[in-house]
Amino acid sequence: MDLHSYPRAEHGRFEQILNQFLLKSLHVILDSRVPASSPPSRSVEVRKSDKWFNLVLGDRPAAMESLSFWNRSLMEPMIIDVILVTETQNTLSDHDSLATLGPEMLTETVVERWVVQYEPLRSVAPQIVDASYKKTYKKSIVQLRTIYSMLRLLPAYKAFRKLCSVNRSCHFDINYKVYSFCSPFSREEERSMKKYNFTPVDAQQGRLSVSVIYREDLSDFNLDSGMSCRPEIITDYVGSPLTPPMRAFPSTSSVKGARATSFPIRVRDSTSASPFQRPHSWASGLHRDGYSQQYQAFDLSPPLNRSPYEYSISPTDVQSNRIQTQRLHAYHRSLSDDLLSPPLSSSPSPSPPAYFSAGNPIHTRMHSETAPVSIPHPMLGRSPRYLSPNLSDSSRHSLPPLSPRNTKYDPSPHGSPSGIRSIKKQDSLRAGELCSVPIHLGQKISRDAKEDSGRFSSLQSSNSSPRFGFSRSSSRLSFQDDFGDFDFSCPFIVDDVDSNDFQTSQNLDSANVSEVTSQSSSTVKKSQDVAVGALVHMLKTAPPLRQDSGHYTSYSSEVRPEKEVGTFSDFFKPRKTSDALEELKVYREMKDVLLSRSAARIAGRENTGT
Amino acid sequence: MVIGSLATLNLPMVVDLIGIFELKGPYCTLTMTDWFLQALSVIPRGSWGDVARRFTMIRWEVEHFEIREVLRCILHTVLFHRALGLVRPKDVDLELFEITYVQCGDMEVERKIDEKIDQFIDRVEKHPNKKNQICLSFYEVKNKQATWFTNKVERLYWEQWYINLNVAQHPKGHSGKSNYSKIVVGPGDTAAEARTARRAALESSLRDVLFQIIRFVNDKKDHVPPIPNLEGVSFPYEITISSSSDSAFGMDMFKRMLQTGHPSMLS
Repeated sequence: MDLHSYPRAEHGRFEQILNQFLLKSLHVILDSRVPASSPPSRSVEVRKSDKWFNLVLGDRPAAMESLSFWNRSLMEPMIIDVILVTETQNTLSDHDSLATLGPEMLTETVVERWVVQYEPLRSVAPQIVDASYKKTYKKSIVQLRTIYSMLRLLPAYKAFRKLCSVNRSCHFDINYKVYSFCSPFSREEERSMKKYNFTPVDAQQGRLSVSVIYREDLSDFNLDSGMSCRPEIITDYVGSPLTPPMRAFPSTSSVKGARATSFPIRVRDSTSASPFQRPHSWASGLHRDGYSQQYQAFDLSPPLNRSPYEYSISPTDVQSNRIQTQRLHAYHRSLSDDLLSPPLSSSPSPSPPAYFSAGNPIHTRMHSETAPVSIPHPMLGRSPRYLSPNLSDSSRHSLPPLSPRNTKYDPSPHGSPSGIRSIKKQDSLRAGELCSVPIHLGQKISRDAKEDSGRFSSLQSSNSSPRFGFSRSSSRLSFQDDFGDFDFSCPFIVDDVDSNDFQTSQNLDSANVSEVTSQSSSTVKKSQDVAVGALVHMLKTAPPLRQDSGHYTSYSSEVRPEKEVGTFSDFFKPRKTSDALEELKVYREMKDVLLSRSAARIAGRENTGT
Repeated sequence: MVIGSLATLNLPMVVDLIGIFELKGPYCTLTMTDWFLQALSVIPRGSWGDVARRFTMIRWEVEHFEIREVLRCILHTVLFHRALGLVRPKDVDLELFEITYVQCGDMEVERKIDEKIDQFIDRVEKHPNKKNQICLSFYEVKNKQATWFTNKVERLYWEQWYINLNVAQHPKGHSGKSNYSKIVVGPGDTAAEARTARRAALESSLRDVLFQIIRFVNDKKDHVPPIPNLEGVSFPYEITISSSSDSAFGMDMFKRMLQTGHPSMLS
């Protein structure tokens, strides 16, 4: 600039205005074309730097921070290219985001080119320009407003809005480049573009000019195509933004002979599933964050977790589920323990006692750390120690919290009751969220369970988890109550149970006990399945609890009071020490039987194994 | 000839009938007649500072339910470019059209515009056959020397925007009006398709208007007074509603001037 005509102060002001104009116009353009990774902060207080040109824009975009525009000469033009990144035609495929494609599969098209520059006087028609810095500043304010408005009228704004919209998985991206020199467009490109020149602002010894060359028609890029923003069905939708975003979903391992549930299991063959993202309906659709990958692959399990008695999958789904369980290995391993309740972390713990006669979920569960919380399988009972099928498995976190009573039954080897209790508490918070699905699930399963009561008989003497017995009495979770009609007869209670814990047991329990004692001798000789079935039947049909302490004197090994012994009234009755001793003896016998039978069962199952 | 006519007018400012748009098609493709600009630009005192600008939009015909959106869009766009105080721009998406316009983020301005639009809609409903007009004016307040006739503050309008809107009066399903001549509506087309086509044409025209406003506010800014140190709308403004009988500088005046060539007093 010519310093001679203007005093230094004036010159300094011009330079400052010019510099700030470049910065502000860059800010406006990037804000309106490049989706921000974080939402803009709208603080009430306006920073001094933001007051330039009386246009409050908020924080500068991250993109600007990386540009070394301070090294730029004010005489050099600032050229900003807005680039639309799309897939090349021959790579159109069902993938989730542009990030998964290599650079050779992407096409970059300049859809807008903004040129902001100071043109010295000698390059324009010589004329007397009376431009004090105040007038220049006033006119540049107006010009910035027009730039701001124009950015919203140009076709590329629509693409920008699409990218910014939530829940969109778009197959295009917007990039930008800022430089001082660029190669002009080819003739072909120019033909498809229009130019708009903003009225220059007279400045000291020159003028400040802004122009834009833009593509008028973006229909060639299929920005609205269904492929780019196709609706996705999130099968593992958790239903609430309050749910931690990175929960591990248990894979639905196959349970042989288990009933199929009403939830279809979608097998995705997408290649680039990010194991670290789950689809959420509320998640941002910004491609930058890779959220476009989220509609993906976590559909092993039927959607909702926390189902206490999780559905089981039909055998036909086993294979697909195994594939997916393996794919989830990386995902689940990557999840830190904070995602999983501490006691449930990592160990590929034995599956819970399963009450279905078929199925061998043990192996699948061993493979996958996310074995589903399924309905306990009678054949899988490894030990009576595992009170809670869901708790003993690392993936069991998804089960709803069991009754705290149940924790006391959990044998120490595989988990601390306190830890499980904490999980339960944690889970109970989420119980309410999963109302509809688990309930339906439970109803279906309860029907199945009843139909398969014969299979339950096999559990009679197994060491399967007694969890379900306890759960029946639990009223802490609403959906557990819904499942209360199930007959996951887990007939055997493990020792170390404090009889006081049975105070809240259902009426059925004591009645069951009384029935059992009368039949104890005859049922020993029956097959295991029959015994269990009989027990179930008894439990269902038993009259209310009676206050008869004599009922506790003897028990058969097959019959396990689902809940414990006694009702409130029983415990208030004065009891003799001998009664207690006898009771203890009975329990011990039951325990031994259970242990031996479950060991035998496990051995047999491992031999037959899938 | 026209210049000579205008030169005889006793006006403190020059009024440019800039932006008289010719109707082309049902919702007008806005065009600017350059010759008209030059013909009417007169500077009475040789000072650019006393130039005033008037922008008049050709009369549009819109549906009743479209009035609010069209007026909001246009008025806010003009105000955003003339509210030169500190503003937090606010993007607003139109509901009926795929257009985003910018407000200056001032709640008082928003309230005032909505109030005036309500009044305009009432006026249109009461006088559907009149040519109703809404005018956005920016002025400076100058204390006039008190005389024994007048003792009030004078407003010197330095910019005025006239928006003329008519509510479509056609019966439902009728598609033969000349206003829709741009849309080829075949005899087999349904009313819904005609409405869609109409809506698309209106959206295109509205976008054109916004482009034109942006161009004008940037082209013609020499006459903008110095910006006071205020937030938001820095210049006083007013929004007035008038009917055809009240309009001082409508198309009627222009047509009269062109046809007769007689000098007219500009009020």
